[in-house]
Amino acid sequence: MEALLLEYLPILIFIGLAAVLGGALIVIPLIVAPSKPDPEKLSAYECGFPAFGDARMKFDVRFYLVAILFIIFDLEVAFLFPWAITLTGLEGGNAVFAFWSMMAFLGVLTVGFIYEWKKGALEWE
Amino acid sequence: MDFTASLALIAPEILLSVSGLVLLLAGAWMGDGASRLVSYAAVAVLAVCAFMVAPALCSGAMGPDTVAFGGQFRADAFASFAKLLIYAAGGAALLVAPAFFERHGAMRAEYPVLVLFAVLGMGLMVSAGDLLTLYIGLELNSLSAYVLAAFLRTDERSAEAGLKYFVLGALASGILLFGMSLTYGFTGTTTFEGIRTALSGGLSTGALFGVIFMLAGLAFKIAAVPFHMWTPDVYEGAPTPVTTFFATAPKVAAVGLTMRVAMDAFGKQESAWQQVIIFAALASIVVGALGAIGQVNIKRLLAYSSINNVGFILIGLAAATQAGASAMLVYLSIYVAMSVGGFVAVLMLKDADGEAVEAIADIAGLSRTQPLLALCLAAVMFSLAGIPPLFGFWGKFVVFQAAVQADMIALAAIGIAASVIGAFYYLKIVKIMYFDEPVNKVHGKSDWIHWALLAVSAIFISPLGYLLTRWLGSLADKAAAALLFAA
Amino acid sequence: MIQAIVFAPLLAALIAGLGNRMIGNTAAKAVTTAGLFLSCALSWPIFIGFVTGSAEAGVTPVLQWVQSGTLSFDWALRVDALTAVMLVVITTVSALVHLYSWGYMEEDLDQPRFFAYLSLFTFAMLMLVTADNLVQMFFGWEGVGLASYLLIGFWFKKPSACAAAIKAFVVNRVGDLGFMLGIFGTWLVFQTTSIPEILAAAPAMKGASTIGFLGARVDTMTVLCILLFIGAMGKSAQLGLHTWLPDAMEGPTPVSALIHAATMVTAGVFMVCRLSPMFEAAPVALAFVTVIGALTCFFAATVGTCQWDIKRVIAYSTCSQLGYMFFAAGVGAYGAAMFHLFTHAFFKALLFLGAGSVIHAMHHEQDMRYYGDLRRHIPITFWVMTAGTLAITGVGVIGVFGFAGFYSKDAILEAAFGSGTELGTLAFMLGSFAALLTSFYSWRLVFLTFFGKPRWAGSEHIQHAVHDEHHHADDAHGHGHADHGDGTAGYHPHESPWSMLVPILVLSVGAVFAGFVFNDTFINRESFWNGAIFYNEHLIHAMHHVPLWVKLTPGMVMLIGLFIAWNNYIRNPALPAAFVNNFRQLHAFVYNKWYFDELYNFLFVRPAFWLGRQFWKIGDIGIIDRFGPNGAAWVVARGSGYAQKVQSGYLYSYALIMLLGLVAAISWVMVK
Repeated sequence: MEALLLEYLPILIFIGLAAVLGGALIVIPLIVAPSKPDPEKLSAYECGFPAFGDARMKFDVRFYLVAILFIIFDLEVAFLFPWAITLTGLEGGNAVFAFWSMMAFLGVLTVGFIYEWKKGALEWE
Repeated sequence: MDFTASLALIAPEILLSVSGLVLLLAGAWMGDGASRLVSYAAVAVLAVCAFMVAPALCSGAMGPDTVAFGGQFRADAFASFAKLLIYAAGGAALLVAPAFFERHGAMRAEYPVLVLFAVLGMGLMVSAGDLLTLYIGLELNSLSAYVLAAFLRTDERSAEAGLKYFVLGALASGILLFGMSLTYGFTGTTTFEGIRTALSGGLSTGALFGVIFMLAGLAFKIAAVPFHMWTPDVYEGAPTPVTTFFATAPKVAAVGLTMRVAMDAFGKQESAWQQVIIFAALASIVVGALGAIGQVNIKRLLAYSSINNVGFILIGLAAATQAGASAMLVYLSIYVAMSVGGFVAVLMLKDADGEAVEAIADIAGLSRTQPLLALCLAAVMFSLAGIPPLFGFWGKFVVFQAAVQADMIALAAIGIAASVIGAFYYLKIVKIMYFDEPVNKVHGKSDWIHWALLAVSAIFISPLGYLLTRWLGSLADKAAAALLFAA
Repeated sequence: MIQAIVFAPLLAALIAGLGNRMIGNTAAKAVTTAGLFLSCALSWPIFIGFVTGSAEAGVTPVLQWVQSGTLSFDWALRVDALTAVMLVVITTVSALVHLYSWGYMEEDLDQPRFFAYLSLFTFAMLMLVTADNLVQMFFGWEGVGLASYLLIGFWFKKPSACAAAIKAFVVNRVGDLGFMLGIFGTWLVFQTTSIPEILAAAPAMKGASTIGFLGARVDTMTVLCILLFIGAMGKSAQLGLHTWLPDAMEGPTPVSALIHAATMVTAGVFMVCRLSPMFEAAPVALAFVTVIGALTCFFAATVGTCQWDIKRVIAYSTCSQLGYMFFAAGVGAYGAAMFHLFTHAFFKALLFLGAGSVIHAMHHEQDMRYYGDLRRHIPITFWVMTAGTLAITGVGVIGVFGFAGFYSKDAILEAAFGSGTELGTLAFMLGSFAALLTSFYSWRLVFLTFFGKPRWAGSEHIQHAVHDEHHHADDAHGHGHADHGDGTAGYHPHESPWSMLVPILVLSVGAVFAGFVFNDTFINRESFWNGAIFYNEHLIHAMHHVPLWVKLTPGMVMLIGLFIAWNNYIRNPALPAAFVNNFRQLHAFVYNKWYFDELYNFLFVRPAFWLGRQFWKIGDIGIIDRFGPNGAAWVVARGSGYAQKVQSGYLYSYALIMLLGLVAAISWVMVK
């Protein structure tokens, strides 16, 4: 029983840290930050949308292009980690196969990226 | 595991993907002006691929030699048969596109590239030996298809078609994925062979859910009732070359995939899916026929016609025999020819300004203004209606024969009776073309590519097609044998 | 060779019929006529071969036809003496009729069709007579029926012609039903349709078994033979099923000569003779044949005496002569029946074509009341008609020479008497009386047409012709309706062209000499028939030894008939009217053809129409249309409406339907 509970100790520590950190981040600004309330500060930012209003409106598709590109390469990285870890354990032909498999994957992504670049999808103006 | 052998088996797929990427870059660099060139290059690639897969069909390849990557991929005669049809349909869709899109100033190099990727996805579908291969192929095809449907961005109907296709396609994909995960959960494997082995003892409720969900997801792709609702809207809204593509290649691929899933993975559990397929078949025939009556747009009419035809194809699947599978392949071949002929003829209906004419009322009296075109369209209609001596009759005949041989006489009888309803609207088109007062709307000229495609299709479905029955039948038999050998 | 005889007319018919206006009148006429003359030229050597005894009977296979279980029969052409007789009759008359039609149909707008039909008819008739099995015979049987229908209704714009065509077809259908049942029954009993095999097996079947028919057990052979004979009755217009033949005169006259006198209507006689061994095994059926034949012979002769239409007189005469043939067959004198068939073909075709020539001369007037005195205007026609009349009435001197009918008719009457049975004697008496009537109506026809004073003025046809002529010729005269006072109305009949006269002249040679030349062959020589028909030696012997008065009877009654005709129409033309006044009821009875049409109308036609109307109104419109096509169409239309309503265009409804379908499928497989 002791041993089992002991295995959950890191989680307990993690929860504690999270609680402390979260609480600190809420409390500290209240104390130290200057408070200058402004309606503009409550308005939407980043994607350029007002938080409330008609959903049927024109918006700039470039936000989405960037977001999708980000997701693609984010996932690429997510793939690369397990691959990189297991690649070292493989022998001979399997290793070669595994290596070139990922190279092909990266190649395809790269071609897509080049296409996008060439098409000018990344230029903001 | 011999990777080299596996790589050799997927050579057509490798060629397709590499050329797709190369052409994509070529299109990006050379601009839209080169799109015609890119299209023809894509056609050439498809031709080369066709030559690469043909030997497997002719030799009736089957068995372990055709299995790549540990059962994930199969390059047997069945896959080759389906791929040849897919390549042919893809080639037709590529050839007719430039003339159509250039009129709208919308011909881009992306079109042939998307078609190539869709074809690649469909090749994977019919070669799938594993749920994952299945899904990857299906999605590669679907994602390309969504974009293709909306290819005329500025056209409202095209955009609507793309959006509807995408939303419903996503729903269907979800259903399919759910079915796949259930199947995996209850069998512990994703390979068809493994599923088959795991289910040989019987079908648990979970796996039953799995197969029904998977079939539902696939039924969406082949537009079988009640998963057909998207078809009329998408076929009508999508640019006509794209509709030509949708009506042919994805049907072949999805039907081939359904055959693999039903007869291979769930091949020992026929009783689980047979009745569902029978219902879908009859419902497709009836709803397709009923829906087509009263249509005023010829593309929409052909959409319902494709639903109707899927019903007949599914009768072959309902038989769940090798003869049934062979009959389905024969029917698919004839169906592809009829659809290509029909849509190419529709593409050739243009008024004096070159605008597409799609209203059925506008082709009244076509026989007097464009006798040859009217004749070909009439041949397509008669063939679709399954009236002998046109070749469409043969397709229906072999399918019904398979059903009768499998002791499904009632199914065959109802199917035949329902095909009478279909004859009505096909013959109505003929009547309008030949007996109504000419409205003199169709004047446009078409290039030789259209004429050539139309001529090839028309000759294939003409009574001359019967010269091919023996040859076509033996190829289909080989393919069906390969399908069941894997099972 | 036999293939050429049979298929040349078919080929010609196809060329003329399919080529039609593309190849034009002359080509169509030429090809069909040439085809027939070829057939004719090839047929005569075969016939002569049988007459001289040098030819052998044989069968020429053509094609396999049906092979189904134990049922099998092929297309084959059988040639024996019986067939050879029919071959020359058919091809000769047909060839001459083709030639005749060049002139007769000169002004018709639709000549290729006419000639194609004629040739098609000839082909079917040849298939019938060369049949080696009952099914092929039935093919020919129906083929000639079809051609007859097409040709009677050739002038399809005339309602009366269409009605006559339909009548002929329907009445024949009644007979054909019997024939079909006979064929089915024969197959059932003998397990074959091959005629030689049936005939070989037939004698042993005499009275050997019974068969259930309409709920009764009856003698097998009797039933089969009577059923087959009913078919013959329809085709050969025997009493009861005769009503179509007079109406069939609506067709062009060459058709009447070929089909409704010389060939098709004799098919029944041919069939009975062909199957004679079978009929010999069924005495009751033979008695039936005798009675029907004798009654028809008498009945038709009586009706013939009162008709005014020249073609109808000859039509009833045909009917009557067919009766002779049947009762000859009925008493067992098949050779005599075939002999009469042979001679009759010549003189009856001659009479019809002669009548056609008269009609042609009289501008399509067919009523003899408007004829008269034509012998001076169309002398050749007059002479050949006289030859035909001499032949049909059987003029001749025993042991010296006689016209065709003299030999054949006398042989029949002698055979009937010589058979020694009561029915045979009855047939002899009826036949003799009919011979008197034959003589009367035949001479009446000649006298009314060619003698006396012209009575043309009363004819509307003649008035039209004269009127037109005046319009064309002398407009200066104003309207020319001059009364010429001599009954001619100013009309001038012209002799027919040579294309019409040549066939008549050729036929008159046959009418004069056919009996004299072939008498011995047909009646006395068993070696000629050589098993093709049943040869009753005993009967032949008996008919040669009938008393002298029997031999003289036909000649006597012929003279009496001639005298009455002369007395009534030459010496005292007022007499017939007085006779009619005295015997008004009898005349009405005979004039109205014994009220057969009225009876049938009452018994069959009107009930059939009533029944048909019920089926139409209640059965067809009320039930079948309502629940069948119209109902199905209604359902489809409704369904189509629903299908389109469901197709709303809204994504959510599409998705909903997909999910509902999924739920339904899952529920179904779970519940199941």
